Amino acid sequence: MARRAAYLHGTDRRAMKPLAVTAFTTTNPAGIGNAATLAALREGRTGLVPNTLDWAPIACWVGQVPGAARIALPEALRDYDCANTRLALLALEQDGFRDAVARAVQRVGAHRVGVFLGTTTSGIRSTEIAYAHRNPDGSLPADFRYDTCHNMDATTELVRRFLGVSGPSLTISTACSSSAKVFAAAERYLRAGLVDAAVVGGVDTLCQTTLYGFNALQLVSEDVCRPYDAARKGLTIGEAGGFALLEDSEAALQLLGYGETCDAHHMSTPHPEGAGARLAMIGALEAASLDANAIDYVNLHGTASPANDLAEGRAVHDLFGDRVPCSSTKGVTGHTLGAAGITEAVISLLALEAGFRPGSPTTRSVDEATRCRFEPTGAEAKLQRVMSNSFGFGGNNCALVFGRAS
Amino acid sequence: MRVHVRSIGVLAPGLPGWEAAQPVVRGERALEMAPLTPPVPRCLPAAERRRSSPTARLAIAVAEQAIDASAIPAAEMEMVFAAAEAAGEITHQLCEVLATTREISPTVFHNSVHNAPLGYLSIAMGAKLSGTSVCRGRWSFANGLVCAALQAQAAQRPVLFVCYDSPMPMPLQAVCAMVDPTAVAMVLAPDRIDAVASASLEIVQADVENEWPAWIPASWHANPSARGLAALGAFASPHGTVRVPFAPGQALEIRC
Repeated sequence: MARRAAYLHGTDRRAMKPLAVTAFTTTNPAGIGNAATLAALREGRTGLVPNTLDWAPIACWVGQVPGAARIALPEALRDYDCANTRLALLALEQDGFRDAVARAVQRVGAHRVGVFLGTTTSGIRSTEIAYAHRNPDGSLPADFRYDTCHNMDATTELVRRFLGVSGPSLTISTACSSSAKVFAAAERYLRAGLVDAAVVGGVDTLCQTTLYGFNALQLVSEDVCRPYDAARKGLTIGEAGGFALLEDSEAALQLLGYGETCDAHHMSTPHPEGAGARLAMIGALEAASLDANAIDYVNLHGTASPANDLAEGRAVHDLFGDRVPCSSTKGVTGHTLGAAGITEAVISLLALEAGFRPGSPTTRSVDEATRCRFEPTGAEAKLQRVMSNSFGFGGNNCALVFGRAS
Repeated sequence: MRVHVRSIGVLAPGLPGWEAAQPVVRGERALEMAPLTPPVPRCLPAAERRRSSPTARLAIAVAEQAIDASAIPAAEMEMVFAAAEAAGEITHQLCEVLATTREISPTVFHNSVHNAPLGYLSIAMGAKLSGTSVCRGRWSFANGLVCAALQAQAAQRPVLFVCYDSPMPMPLQAVCAMVDPTAVAMVLAPDRIDAVASASLEIVQADVENEWPAWIPASWHANPSARGLAALGAFASPHGTVRVPFAPGQALEIRC
């Protein structure tokens, strides 16, 4: 029993040494690259549009990344060609990210750089199309590639090859917390000395699986999503790709902490009081050695599903009271599922860098029952530390804390 | 990097548990292939047993073996689940429906996420610490083990590591040749206390991909978790050493 007690009450939550975020980029429905995304946030402009997809005629809105479909993969990597990898390559080309990785490779060596990506559905759109074109004997079309498109790891391996890096790498697929948890996993690889630099990120693209799946769960709104709105009716699904480069060095922006938990409550419904979410936020604060008072803004998970916003808002209020302004940027980008973590991590970094606290332009009337200090209108604000929340199916929670180097 | 294994669980045709598997993985007794009885995890309430996929039940049942043998409550463990495929039977059901009526069942949809087995186990056992579901294609065993070992080290807690594969239905089996269910689970501890094995893990260059031990049937070669079964020989032998594929041109050397 003594041994067990040590695990429960011991010094297991050791504070984390801040990690430098030396480069970052987001490509999402509101903007290709950081500048376009920040402009959309500042203007309070949504990137979401009424759905006109002929392969998923559902009465809803969607968030698409224009231009991603036109990306051509290098000849040697053609086997990986699918919607997900095209968006991944478009995202890698923005904000000098690829060059930043190349510089890191020069500094530490290709074998010391790892790639840690999150996704929920990888290139499943290719499998959906293959099933729609099965041969008369039931077999799949001869040109269908499963391992290099559908497998959850396909985009990670493509990105490794494209960037020319060979360090330990991993794909995390924990639904909508996937590309937040990559920061936590990468920190452990860096801390243990397995890599000197980590490319973290995530990609998810629109597919029938998620559009029809969330629709079957009655979680998709016919209207644009309105996070924390009293009249919110569900989420708007978007697609996105994004990356960040983590190193144990000096930089203006840092990853300060992370917390990961499971609800142990329900496969597709959050704990009503957000108990698991609350513990993830506490874990992130502890890892960062910070009090709740030190956080200047919380970028909420805020999917605009009635149950999620209520549970999260209450958990956030319980920790941060009425003091900390919060918002969800999903009304701008949509819920980009496995890419939501990296999208909102990058938005948090942009907010810190630009001194701008994003709002929630599609929210009209805040639901008082969510309790936390939800600010629908963005504002110029000096931000020192920001928390970003990501929660997923299976009750999988992750909270991240980013800050400006002091 | 070191890993301390507190307990082991095994499920595969002819390998119903760690006790039975030990002489086989050590090469002392031949594997007698017998179809694996579909596992029924005790921890799942009847409704969840019906709702969960066969893949989830396989992963949870093998996890249950390791949890029981560790004498540590699951609620005190972090979790790392590694699999190349989420659940082939669910992918097939989903894509068939999407190609026809598009009327997806909500249960099939939530069963389709890669972390569904982890979610079911967490709910059934009240496990509320960190839970991570990972994939690294055919290198999923070695990379999942490293991820779990780092977590045990960082959190100074026990970590439940599970790696599993279930058969792919046709027509997916033609492009992803998993035909048998195989699964391995380990409880990794941050210290040596009560360990059944302690090993050092090292990533090494390997120009040629490691050969399979003779006892592993060729029909398991498409299963990344079978690389875990192949590695168990080292865990079950004093000073056992084994290499498992880690990445193109790299192997993970496990030295007990």
